Amino acid sequence: MPRTWHRWIPAAAAPVAIGAVVLGGVFATSASADPADKTPQQVLELAASSTVDTFSGTIEQSSNLGLPDVSGLGGSTGSSSDSSDGSDLTSALELLTASHTLRVYVDGPTQSRVQILDDMAERDAIRNGDDLWLYDSNDSTAVHSTLPADASTAPDASAESLTPAELATRFLDAVDPSTEVTIGDPVTVAGRSAYDLVLTPDSSTTLVSSVEIAVDADTGLPLSVDVFAQGSSDAAFHVAFTSLSLDTPSADLFDFTPPAGTDVTEKALPNRDDAPADGSVAPDAGTHPEPTVTGTGWDTIVELPASTDPSSLTDSPMLSQLTTSVDGGHVLQTTLLTVLITDDGRVLAGAVPVESLQAAAGK
Amino acid sequence: MIDCSGAGSSAPAHASGLAIETTALTKRFGRQTVVDGLALSVPRGSVFGFLGPNGSGKTTTIRMLLGLAQASGGEISVLGERMPQKLGSVLPRVGALIEGPGFSPFLSGSANLRRLDSADGFAPNGTRSARVSRALDRVGLGHAADKKVRAYSLGMKQRLGIANALLAPRDLIVLDEPTNGLDPQGTREVRSLIRSLADEGTTVFVSSHLLAEIEQMCTHAAVMRAGRLVAQGTLDELRSAGTTRVIVTTPDADAAAQVLRTLGLDPGHPDAPGAAVTATLPESIEPEDIVAALVNAGVRVRGFAVDHASLEDLFVALTGEGFDVVQ
Amino acid sequence: MSSSDPTAASLVARRTRRSLGVGFFASELAVLFRRRRTWAMLLALAAVPILIAVAVRISSSGSSGRGPAFIDSITQNGLFVGIAGLTIAIPLFLPLTVGVVAGDSIAGEANTATLRYLLVSPVGRIRLLVVKYLAAVVFCLAATLTLSIAGILIGIALFPVGPVTLLSGDTVSIGDSLVRSLLIALYATVSLLGLSAIGLFISTLTDAPVGAMAATVVLSIVAQVLDSLSQTEWLHPWLFSHYWLDFADLLRQPIEWSSFGQNALLQLGYVVVFGALAYGRFSSKDILS
Ligand SMILES: Nc1ncnc2c1ncn2[C@@H]1O[C@H](COP(=O)(O)OP(=O)(O)OP(=O)(O)O)[C@@H](O)[C@H]1O
Ligand SMILES: [Mg+2]
Repeated sequence: MPRTWHRWIPAAAAPVAIGAVVLGGVFATSASADPADKTPQQVLELAASSTVDTFSGTIEQSSNLGLPDVSGLGGSTGSSSDSSDGSDLTSALELLTASHTLRVYVDGPTQSRVQILDDMAERDAIRNGDDLWLYDSNDSTAVHSTLPADASTAPDASAESLTPAELATRFLDAVDPSTEVTIGDPVTVAGRSAYDLVLTPDSSTTLVSSVEIAVDADTGLPLSVDVFAQGSSDAAFHVAFTSLSLDTPSADLFDFTPPAGTDVTEKALPNRDDAPADGSVAPDAGTHPEPTVTGTGWDTIVELPASTDPSSLTDSPMLSQLTTSVDGGHVLQTTLLTVLITDDGRVLAGAVPVESLQAAAGK
Repeated sequence: MIDCSGAGSSAPAHASGLAIETTALTKRFGRQTVVDGLALSVPRGSVFGFLGPNGSGKTTTIRMLLGLAQASGGEISVLGERMPQKLGSVLPRVGALIEGPGFSPFLSGSANLRRLDSADGFAPNGTRSARVSRALDRVGLGHAADKKVRAYSLGMKQRLGIANALLAPRDLIVLDEPTNGLDPQGTREVRSLIRSLADEGTTVFVSSHLLAEIEQMCTHAAVMRAGRLVAQGTLDELRSAGTTRVIVTTPDADAAAQVLRTLGLDPGHPDAPGAAVTATLPESIEPEDIVAALVNAGVRVRGFAVDHASLEDLFVALTGEGFDVVQ
Repeated sequence: MSSSDPTAASLVARRTRRSLGVGFFASELAVLFRRRRTWAMLLALAAVPILIAVAVRISSSGSSGRGPAFIDSITQNGLFVGIAGLTIAIPLFLPLTVGVVAGDSIAGEANTATLRYLLVSPVGRIRLLVVKYLAAVVFCLAATLTLSIAGILIGIALFPVGPVTLLSGDTVSIGDSLVRSLLIALYATVSLLGLSAIGLFISTLTDAPVGAMAATVVLSIVAQVLDSLSQTEWLHPWLFSHYWLDFADLLRQPIEWSSFGQNALLQLGYVVVFGALAYGRFSSKDILS
């Protein structure tokens, strides 16, 4: 039949046009003006001298640690276990394994707000001067703490430690002779051109193959961090701004009053000296015993002494699902991090193979 | 095919003289050729009967004329313009009833007409209500205008369908079996409606398998059979294409037959003495000469008739007598 | 007809230029909203928040323990009932009604044989597609607004009303919360644009409106099932239902607009692709019904 085929042109062209727009968007981002050439050292200095302390933005975080998504698991274990250790662990694992979108609002060192945008829910950490609020819309609970008057910086909420800037600072602080620093091609993150700082561990024992940090060409603010594990071309851990504004956020955002009907818990903060230096643990983690650190650089191993009730860890049904039994304990193996829970209840962790942990535990 | 159109398809008539013209129009549904090489010529101002038994391809042809179905081959021009390329400018001047009416049952008759009228980009909004009620009045539905079409009878729906074709002044009206389902009164009204449309100068293209109807109102006709056109022309031309018979009623049948034979006619052998003698009348012989010859021969003539073949005979002759639908 | 009749003469007048089809669109809307079926569907949608509110009110046990936490909060604030109703209706009831309207758009006309009369009137095939699609969009808006408004009204009637707590824990005024309710209704409307285009396309494939409606609704369910399977994760951002429940981003402080934008872009993509497919199918289809 002499049917006109022309009428199908739009139908054929539409996906092509959409593809072009999608790909064009990718091309456009890579086509933005390249920043002036800099040496790795200059970029390190640029990052170190960054003075941006007022900004707001959206952050995308995802990880590919080779762990199952425990967001579903957490619910079932959380209800069966009343151990606070168990639920802390669940939420910590949830933060690590699931993908998240966060929004951060920072105005100076004393005002900040981090929002974890969950489905139909939200977790907020707000710091306003001496007040620290944690709010969870899921169960309408809030935790309030007051910082000591002399504290210059607050211990970060666990969420805030996931911002590229915080994470990058930790990696950059750790740059030592065991790290090779190079510069990749300029990248565009959140619409801003940035230097791509590549940290490559000069160690054969670490699980980390490289860390890429995008440093904003303008301000030196780290815009994204990608941690690559040995033997994988996909980032095992990725955190990046998807949008960033250097304008001062609205002051209303930091002025938090728990809504009516919220369960408010007052929580005293541990002394600043007791707080974990890396701030990666939730604020209520202050009750944990102090860790000991062995090894240096990328091979660092952190050891937590046996807690008062080791069975709370080893008996956790979720842990038994995630760990495998090895000589001397149970191992939680991820692509980046290995955690060894010894039979006597000590916990050793590091970005190293399990043999290194076993050796350290045996010492 | 019998082609009786004077201007004829022999000389490719300039489109302006024809309301509808098709050349080699063909439609295939899968392997089946439903319309096969159709060459229609519908003169402007004519009332054109489109005849054919069930399934002969009339409705399919009409769908192609109006751009509803794509031709598999051939060309169409309607009101002097190519179809379906000029569909947008041609169709506003064409009113149509195609294979029965089609209306939203949950709307009233007048609401249905208003809706269809608003779909016509050239119909002015201001006169819509007036035109709708006039069209309804014209088909005798004035009193049922606000009734839901769901509650219309078959004939009322058919009338509404005709009213839709009359919503705007048209140059061509295509009616596919317009009297389907109408009562005798309705049939008569439709016939007179068609005549009055023709008087206004509108070309009317009516399809039907009711020959009497076509014979009564058409000036021209075409006959389809199994997708092919078997005859086309004015009614008189079509009739004359059929046979004309003389019928002599006489007690002297044998004598009469003898006379006819001497004149060169072929009356065959009379069935019985006293029965009517019939013979086909050649064009070369005038009927009055036959009467004179009969009288001269002393045949007692009780009655003498010249019978033009009815269109029905022609129709049956052209399309075959079988009841089964061809194809 | 006599030519001396002045009214008859004026009735003969025709427009010299073809109208854009606004009149036909208006008539299409009038037909849509004159149908009892349309009103039945809108009433059924309005019943969703009303039933939720009444059920919660009667049980008044407080937390249901299931579903988004803010459904529980309707007992504290009636203004949430509309949002709760939308949340419940988005996965099934809204796609159902939109599937009926969009699936019926062309196939329904073919079924009542009005399609051939519209086309010879002549409406123009592309114009008919556009008008049918726009009418479906208007229905989407009417449906989501009906849900919201019915919810807010029943909420005001049965529960206390006051400033609204957002997901972020901030509290906004009643006026602000009404604006956000309207935005959420708009979000849900935008969410349904892609499905409407799919329904329109399917509707051009058949003369059986029920088939087109069912196929559209089934597709909306398939999309949501695929969206919940981790095996098809690569497909998720391309599923038209992917952002359907992300209207919650409008309940944050400040409003997170990115999901609105992504959703709108995705739906636009669906409209373009399925609009083009519908055009391809319909522009020279034989109308034999
Ligand atoms: N949609 C279709 N698919 C396949 N064949 C069809 C279709 N519509 C019609 N036909 C075939 O086309 C032929 C002509 O049909 P059409 O409707 O044109 O006949 P008609 O002359 O109008 O008959 P009637 O006098 O019964 O109305 C028939 O053989 C019919 O079977
Ligand atoms: Mg027919």
